[in-house]
Amino acid sequence: MAFQIVINLIIAFMWMFLNESYSAPGFIGGYLLGILLLFLLSKFIPGTFYLKKFFKIISLILLFIKELISSNIDIVKLVYTPNPEVEPGIFALPIEVKSNWEITLLANLISLTPGTLSIAVSNDNKQLFIHAMDIDDIEESISSIKNTFEKAIMEVTR
Amino acid sequence: MTEVLAATENILNVTIIICFTGISVSLILLLYQIIKGPTQPDRAVALDTIGINLMGIAGILSIFLATTKLTDVVLLIGILGFLGTLAIAKYLEKGVIIDRDLD
Amino acid sequence: MIETWIEIIINIIIILFLLVGTLFILSASIGIVRFPDVYTRLHAATKGSTLGIACILIGAFLYLYSAHSIVSGKLLLAIVFILLTAPVSAHMISRAAHNNGIKPFLKNRNDEYENAIKKQQSK
Repeated sequence: MAFQIVINLIIAFMWMFLNESYSAPGFIGGYLLGILLLFLLSKFIPGTFYLKKFFKIISLILLFIKELISSNIDIVKLVYTPNPEVEPGIFALPIEVKSNWEITLLANLISLTPGTLSIAVSNDNKQLFIHAMDIDDIEESISSIKNTFEKAIMEVTR
Repeated sequence: MTEVLAATENILNVTIIICFTGISVSLILLLYQIIKGPTQPDRAVALDTIGINLMGIAGILSIFLATTKLTDVVLLIGILGFLGTLAIAKYLEKGVIIDRDLD
Repeated sequence: MIETWIEIIINIIIILFLLVGTLFILSASIGIVRFPDVYTRLHAATKGSTLGIACILIGAFLYLYSAHSIVSGKLLLAIVFILLTAPVSAHMISRAAHNNGIKPFLKNRNDEYENAIKKQQSK
């Protein structure tokens, strides 16, 4: 990945010098040209095309914004219902991600999504304790968290 | 056409006043929560939210006064509120803020 | 002609953002007052006020850009900062509350964190 970025920068500088236009628009044009060249020649360069990872990060951010808005609508509905019928509880979520900052990212994402709030990480980094506002089925919410967030984070980091 | 533009600007001014009122009401509710709150973490939650509401007031004030000087203030209140909340949480958890024996 | 229309539309968008942000912040505070215990209060505090402040700051950014043509990167930085730090402070407060021995308000559910701590201590 770092190798591809270096190649891209070299192409951008060469484009700038060949054009004899030493300005930011010239550099950006060269960088875009480099991205096009790398995309066309991606079969001959080792490693996967580095923009693929970039698109995965973008899709993770979009998923996060969507969940944030839906969770806010839930909270506003719950605040303005008289006598809310909530059934709060704390459940344990077994996690597969290992490194520290993956766990941090997962806990942050869980905190800002509908109905869940991460409370603590167990000592052996294998379980995450989650306070849930109103859940019908614990197994279902565990599998939904594992299928959306953990999968998206693993796609970005691995 | 210009009349419509002038009308939207008038509505914007009224909106700013409505937003000030709304955030002030929420600040009063949070102050009530700080005084009442049965346990210490309740008060910490309310204090954290007060910091966020002050950021909102600074943001709306920068529209009201049409200045960019207050954008620094927004960022600084955010950072100080975060650090203050962390300090309060650590104090509630361990009884000290800076623990000397790092394990 | 077209520029006037664009300005009108941007004004309407700013008004919508400010009103929605104020609604979220106000309902977060009402939720903090109404909910029964610390953990449910944290739900309202993190989610509601995070999106509310993001809406208000986006409104301020759009206004500064349309009225004075200033691109203020600090406001965008503040949005990113609040999105990163609000869950962290909620996590810290809830862990501190649980270690202080504050029982969550439970109905038909159980507290598995408490059980895990007890199991570890009995070992």
